Amino acid sequence: MFIVSLGLRALHRNPYRSILTSLGIVIGVLSVIVLVSIGLGAKALVLQSIQNLGPNLLIVIPGSVTDSGAQVGGGTDTTLTQEDAQAIRHDCPDVWNASGALRTAAQVQSSHANWSTVILGAEPNYLPVRDWHLARGGFFGAEEEAASARVAVLGHLVASRLFGLEDPLGKFIQINHSPFRVIGILSSKGQSPMGMNQDDMVVIPLSTLQSQIMGVTYVGVILAAAQSPDRVGDARREIRDLLLLRHHIPAGGHPDFDIQALSDIAKTANRLSLILTLLLALIASISLIVGGIGILNIMLVSVRERTREIGIRMAIGARPRDILLQFLTESAALSFFGGIAGGILGVLSILALRSFLGWPAPIPWEDSLITVAGATLLGVLFGLYPAWRASRLDPMEALRYE
Amino acid sequence: MQEDVRPGLSVRLDAVTKIYNVAGDELPAIRGVTLSFDRGEALALVGSSGSGKSTLLHLSGLLDRPTTGAVFYENSRVDSLSPSDRAILRNRSVGFVFQNFQLIPRTTALENVEMPLLYRGVPPRERRERARELLLSVGMGDRERHYSSQLSGGQQQRVAIARALVASPGLLLADEPTGNLDSRSAVSVLDLLMKAQERTRMTLVLVTHDAEVARFASRTVRVRDGLLEKS
Ligand SMILES: Nc1ncnc2c1ncn2[C@@H]1O[C@H](COP(=O)(O)OP(=O)(O)O)[C@@H](O)[C@H]1O
Ligand SMILES: [Mg+2]
Repeated sequence: MFIVSLGLRALHRNPYRSILTSLGIVIGVLSVIVLVSIGLGAKALVLQSIQNLGPNLLIVIPGSVTDSGAQVGGGTDTTLTQEDAQAIRHDCPDVWNASGALRTAAQVQSSHANWSTVILGAEPNYLPVRDWHLARGGFFGAEEEAASARVAVLGHLVASRLFGLEDPLGKFIQINHSPFRVIGILSSKGQSPMGMNQDDMVVIPLSTLQSQIMGVTYVGVILAAAQSPDRVGDARREIRDLLLLRHHIPAGGHPDFDIQALSDIAKTANRLSLILTLLLALIASISLIVGGIGILNIMLVSVRERTREIGIRMAIGARPRDILLQFLTESAALSFFGGIAGGILGVLSILALRSFLGWPAPIPWEDSLITVAGATLLGVLFGLYPAWRASRLDPMEALRYE
Repeated sequence: MQEDVRPGLSVRLDAVTKIYNVAGDELPAIRGVTLSFDRGEALALVGSSGSGKSTLLHLSGLLDRPTTGAVFYENSRVDSLSPSDRAILRNRSVGFVFQNFQLIPRTTALENVEMPLLYRGVPPRERRERARELLLSVGMGDRERHYSSQLSGGQQQRVAIARALVASPGLLLADEPTGNLDSRSAVSVLDLLMKAQERTRMTLVLVTHDAEVARFASRTVRVRDGLLEKS
C-alpha cells in the first residue's frame, strides 16, 4: 500500500511529463468512445429512416432473382402494372392498402426558379401507404387519376426552392413545359434508407406521368402496407401467390418480381452498421495501443533517469518487487487518469457533435467504462517491462549510475 | 527518545575476492580477504584511493556479491541469499552512509529518513514520528520539509545519517562520510556517528583515507591493493 503512494508521488513531482505521457491514452480513449458513438449513431439513423418508411411496408419490384440470390435488372424491368397494384389492393386480405409508383427525373420551373428533381407518379392512396402526411393543401383523388389531371403535390424542399417564402398553393409549375397546378405540399420526411432526400420530389398522378410524360404503361414499384407489423409475412405470401398467378408463372418457375420487406432491409442495415462499428472500434483500439507504447517509452526513459534513485532505494532495503510495484503503479495511474480524462473529453465531444451537427450519437456509457478499464490494463501491461527492468537492476551498479 | 538497544551485528568475510570485468579485462579489486567485524566495535578501514575499501564495504553490506568466498552475519551465510532476502537484511540490519550522501532527489529530508521504515511496512504515523525523532537527534529538526537540493553538504550528510540509523541497524557502514565536507562539518558528522555508536552499541565500520579520522575508531584495518596489510 505504501509503495502505491510512492508511485503516485513520483507522478505528482513531474506533472508536465505525466500529462504528456498520458496524452496518447487520452486521445486513444477519446477516439474509441467518439467512434463507437458515431457507429451507433449511424445505426440509429438508418433504423430511424427505415422506421420513417413504415414498418408494415412491403416493396414489390420487377425483375427476376436468380438461384444465387442475385437480382437481375432490379427495378428496371417493366413487368408490373397499375392493374397488379389494384389486384393486390383488392385480393390480398392481409394487405391494408397498396399503391403503384413510377419515377423519373425532370426539370421543374416556377415563374422565377428552376429546379431539377424527381417526378413521382403515384396513386391517390400513396400517402396512407407510406404513412405520410400533407403539410398544407390536398392530394389528388380518383377523378384526377382517371383524368390524368395536371396537378402536383410538392415535396417540402421543392416547394421552398421554387417558391421561396411565397405560397405555392394554386400556382402553376412547368414540368417538361406542361403546366401543372400545385394542390398540396408534403410534410418533411428526410432521408430514405437508400440515402435519397424524400423531400426533394414532386408527386403527380401515376396516369399523368405514364401517359403525358413518359409514354409507358408499367409501374416501377408497388408499395403495399400490411394490416399490421405481424401480418407482413402473410401479406407477402398473398402478394406473391397473386402475382405468380397474374403473370402466368408456372410452379417452380422464376418469378419476374421480388418482394422486399423493410424488416429485411433493417437486418442488412443492422449488419452493415455493426461492421462499421467494429471497424471504427478497431481503428480506435490501434490508437489506444499507440498510446500504450508511448507509456512504455516514457517509463523506460524514466527508469533510466532514475537509476540512481532505484539504487538508493535498494540500498536501504527496497526489494525487487517493491521497485516493480512502484513503477507499475506509475504506469497504471498514468493510463487510468489518462483514460478518465479521455472518457470525459469523449463525452464532451459527443455532446458537441450532437449540438453542432445534429447527429443522433448516443453516449456509450458502458463501452466508455470498458474502454477506461481496458486503457488502465494496457498501461499496466506496457508498464510491466520497464518496471521489471527497474526491479532487476543491480543495486551497486544503479548507485554508481551517473 | 526510545531507542531499542540491540547488540551490534557480527560480520565475517571469509576469503572473499571481487573481480571486476572491465571491457573484457579481469580487474581484481579484492584479492582474498578474511576479516571479522566484532559485535559492537568501531572499526576504521584505511588505505589509499583505489585500494578496495569501498568494495569491501559493499560486500559486507550485501550491496554486492563476492566473486569467490563467503560473507557471514552472526555465523550464517548471507551472500548467497536471493536479491529479495538480501534486500530484507539490508533493510533490517544495515545502515549505509555514503561519501556523496545519496539522498533521493526531489524528496524531502523527512521522506528520505522515513524510506527504510516504509520498506519495512511500518504504518505512516509511526514512521513519521520515528523519522522526526531521528532528524531532531542529528540537529535537522527544522529542515524536515527541505529538499536535498536545498541543503548544504553537511546537512545532507546529517539527513543521510538519520536515514541510516532510523531502522536501528546492527551494522552501520560509512564510506568516507566526511570526504565531501569542510573540516567543521566533518568533525560534527564524525561526532554524530561516534555518539550514535556509543549509544546503540551497533557495529560501525568507517572507511577513510584520513589518519585523523581513523583515530576516532577503536581498531584500524589497513587495505592495500585488494589485500589486508598486517599492522
Ligand atoms: N564497478 C566497478 N567496475 C570496475 N572496477 C571497479 C568497480 N568498482 C571498483 N573498481 C575498481 O576496484 C578497485 C577498488 O575500488 P574501491 O573499492 O572503490 O577503492 P577505494 O574505495 O579504496 O578507493 C579500483 O581499482 C577500482 O577502479
Ligand atoms: Mg572508495
